Amino acid sequence: MRVAVVGKGGSGKTTTSAIVARTMARHGASVVALDCDSNPNLGLSLGVGDFETERLESMRESLDEGGEEHAPGWDDLIARFGSDAPDGVRLAVVSRIDNPSPG
Amino acid sequence: MRLAFVGKGGVGKSAIAGTFCRALARQGHPVLAIDSDPLPGLAFSLGLTISDAPLPDEAIEDKPEGEEGPRFRLRAGLTAADAVEQYAATAADGVRFLQFGKHRGSTGRGLFRSQFAFRQILRELPEDRWNVVGDLPGGTRQPFTGWGDYARLILIVVEPTAKSMLTARRLSRLALDEEHPRRIVAVVNKAREAGDAKTVEERTGLEVVGAVPWDVAFAEAEEKMAAPIDMAPDSAAVKAVESLVEQLSAERIS
Repeated sequence: MRVAVVGKGGSGKTTTSAIVARTMARHGASVVALDCDSNPNLGLSLGVGDFETERLESMRESLDEGGEEHAPGWDDLIARFGSDAPDGVRLAVVSRIDNPSPG
Repeated sequence: MRLAFVGKGGVGKSAIAGTFCRALARQGHPVLAIDSDPLPGLAFSLGLTISDAPLPDEAIEDKPEGEEGPRFRLRAGLTAADAVEQYAATAADGVRFLQFGKHRGSTGRGLFRSQFAFRQILRELPEDRWNVVGDLPGGTRQPFTGWGDYARLILIVVEPTAKSMLTARRLSRLALDEEHPRRIVAVVNKAREAGDAKTVEERTGLEVVGAVPWDVAFAEAEEKMAAPIDMAPDSAAVKAVESLVEQLSAERIS
C-alpha cells in the first residue's frame, strides 16, 4: 500500500501520517515513512525526538552540498538517510528545506 | 516600519497580522497590508469580505526595448505610491490591502508579472509614508524566495509545540539576510501557560517580543471569516496584539 497525506498548513498532515504509519506497523506491516514536506517535522510526530529529526534534516542538506553521495537505490536510501522510529517504522527525509530565489 | 509575519502553517500568522495592521492604523499610522500567501487569510482577518486584491493587468507592462531593468514594470507614469492609492483595497481604519503570489490564470505568466510589480512597489514606496506589514506563506519553502526581502523586522509566529518551535529555528536561519541585516524575533501564539514564552525563547534562541494567549475568539473569527478586532475587540488575544503594536511603535520612536 502507498499512501500520501496532503492538506493546508496546520490541519494535521504530519500528525495523521505518523499515526497511520505507526498503526500500520503495529498491525504487522513493514512501513517506511517518507517526509516529503519542505518543513520536515514527521520525526517529531513519529517520536524520534528533536535531535534525530534535525540530524536527518542536516544529512539531507549535506547531500545537496556534496557532503554525501546520492543513494544508488531504494534500499540504500532508506538505510543511509533513514532512522528507526518506534513500532519498527523506518523514517527517511526526502525533501529539502531551502530553495534558491527565483530569477 | 516594514515587517513580515512568518511561521509554520496554521500557527495564526494571518489572524495576528490582520489584527496588528488594524491596531497600527488606529494609532494613526498609514498601513499597507500585503498578503503574499496564495491561500487567502489576511483579507478576512482585516475585516474585508473579498479574498483577492490584485493589481490589474493594465497596471503592469512589459519593459520597452532598450530600457534598463526587469522584464515587467509598473505602467509608465504610475509610481509605487500611485499604484497603492489606486489599486489597493481599503479595509476598516484605513488599512490598504494588496494580494500577491496568487495564481489567477492557467499559466504562470500573470503570477510572474505581478511578482515583478510587487518587488517594484516594495522597492520604491516611500518608507516615511507607508508602514508595510506582510503575511508570508506558511512553512519554510516559500517565504524567503523573494517575497520577504522588504521586511526589516521578521516576526516568527510560534506555538509552544515541538513542531512549531523546530520550524521557527529553521525560519530564523532562512531569514538571515547578509546584504540587509534585519531583526528576527518571535511572537508566541496560543500561549496557555505562563512559562510558554520562556520555553519558546530557550528552544528557538529567539527574543520573544510578545505572547498572544490561546483565545477561542481567534478560532471563531476564522470560522466566520471575520476580523478578530471587530468580532472580539476585548478578547485577550486582540489585547495582546495591541500591546505588541504599542511596544514596537514605541521602540521605533525611541
